[in-house]
Amino acid sequence: MRRMMEKITTLEKAAKLVESGNSIAIGGFTVYRKPMAFVRELLRTDVRDLNVLGWTSGIDVDMLAGAGRLRRVELSYVGLDFLGLAPSYRRAVESGELQVIEYTELTSAMRFKVGAMGMNFFPAKSLFGSDLLRHNPDVREIKCPFTGEVFHAVPAARPDVTVLHAPMADVYGNVVYLPSSNRNIEWDIPMAECAKKVVVTVEKIVEYDYMLSNPLLTKIPRFKVDAVVEVPYGAHPTDHDSYYKVDKDHLRAYAEASRKPETFKQYLDEYVYGVKDHWEYMNKVGGIKRMVELRPAEE
Amino acid sequence: MKKYAKDYTIEELMATVVSREMRSARNGFIGTGTGGRTYTLAVGIPLAGMSLARMTSNPDLSILFSYKVNPVIEEMPSPDSLTSPYELMNWRCEANLAYDAIFLMAMRGEIDTGFGSAAQIDRFGNANIVAIGDYRKPKVRLIGPIFQTEHFALFGREILLMDHERRNFVERVDFVSGVGYLEGGDSRRRAGLKRGGPDKIITNLAVLDFDEKTRGVRVLSLHPGVEASEVQKNTGFELVIPRGVPETEPPSVDEVELLRTKVDPRRIMLGTS
Repeated sequence: MRRMMEKITTLEKAAKLVESGNSIAIGGFTVYRKPMAFVRELLRTDVRDLNVLGWTSGIDVDMLAGAGRLRRVELSYVGLDFLGLAPSYRRAVESGELQVIEYTELTSAMRFKVGAMGMNFFPAKSLFGSDLLRHNPDVREIKCPFTGEVFHAVPAARPDVTVLHAPMADVYGNVVYLPSSNRNIEWDIPMAECAKKVVVTVEKIVEYDYMLSNPLLTKIPRFKVDAVVEVPYGAHPTDHDSYYKVDKDHLRAYAEASRKPETFKQYLDEYVYGVKDHWEYMNKVGGIKRMVELRPAEE
Repeated sequence: MKKYAKDYTIEELMATVVSREMRSARNGFIGTGTGGRTYTLAVGIPLAGMSLARMTSNPDLSILFSYKVNPVIEEMPSPDSLTSPYELMNWRCEANLAYDAIFLMAMRGEIDTGFGSAAQIDRFGNANIVAIGDYRKPKVRLIGPIFQTEHFALFGREILLMDHERRNFVERVDFVSGVGYLEGGDSRRRAGLKRGGPDKIITNLAVLDFDEKTRGVRVLSLHPGVEASEVQKNTGFELVIPRGVPETEPPSVDEVELLRTKVDPRRIMLGTS
């Protein structure tokens, strides 16, 4: 008898789902709940010329830009949140090597929502008069067929691969987000729904029975998911809601290293290329002791 | 009669100006993700000012702090924990809205007032947080437009909080990410924006608004002890300075007391200056 298909795999195999030239969407928000273990694994492959379709990006895009893996980004924000500008991204844009297609926060997010609807575009009311219209070649003027009002059509996003980090999943790819997950998970979900392939890293693999008992918590069903990887602390050094806070010390050290190509390269050599896998990385950034320190205050 | 305070910080004065601006507003929106001085300007001062308004003139005001509606200000987590989404989620409030609910509210035109800051603002209230210098090869690439474009296009009005310096107040912004009055006159309307736009700019020196006809930045009031010439000296374009500009109404003794004891006793929002 055939069994249900398991989607569980390793980071190494999951990273191979991304090919050079692909468009990828990365879940989370600036320095919160970013699938960083996957991003580091991606850097260990020779993938390049990526186009990031984003909303509010942070250290994920900064790292990929600094490592020269990006051709283009389409998003509304890249920064290190409370630590300010993203230095490697800045350098890549200022040198003219990285193309930015500017969107606003609302339009960049709605691109995923209309992608998830199977629609072609989102009718924007917020772009009139802005320089985004002058520099974004993908936005077109349209007329409302009912009233004749003019809007701007923003193309739907259909990423080749969407990568997310979530609390839990089963081996079949049913993905759980918790009620305590930050409200920005609202955009992880359409990001998955509009994608051609979906990879999800999770803190913990749980039994299929967990889903049957808590079906309200399943936010992405297994038929949308291609690969699931169990990666505890897989968002480090970014935050993961009830699991761990943002590692400010590490992030500050990263931001400092990112300011110069030489120190950024040293950072990558130490924390990405110089470690065999996520477990070696974990030991390098302080192991269990550090992770315990990063636990958020209990309510 | 109202008794005015003699001893107050510039941030307390700015928060009081915000509070008075919100006397009859339905709601006011503040974003989250910034650090340092921008946090004080774009988050701290408007949050303190709106909280003061809720305690005094306008108990029906809804503070929209990102997805949180009317968080209990006395229970504000430390600034350190504001970088913890979990602790932010657990901060008691009337509602933790779905993230897209805020976007839909904006699209329906139901957000009254937005608060923000900018790297550059120009003579006609256009704002820039995208790039400094030539866009194709910028001197400084900034964070990107985020929600600013929506603040300026979809909200009822935008109130900006700025440090008053020549490098921030420029003749023409290098990139229009927040659409003000474009080239002045009715050019904003002609570009397709029928409502909203920048309404006030609250700085450490003055409160600014816009001339009804030319739409140029105008001095509405000067903070106590500040001369018009000092404001002009710190502005990179020619301001509209009407004759007999009044003094900004200082905070009352009661307002300062509320800010210090109830709104922000730990000096999280208003800094320590």
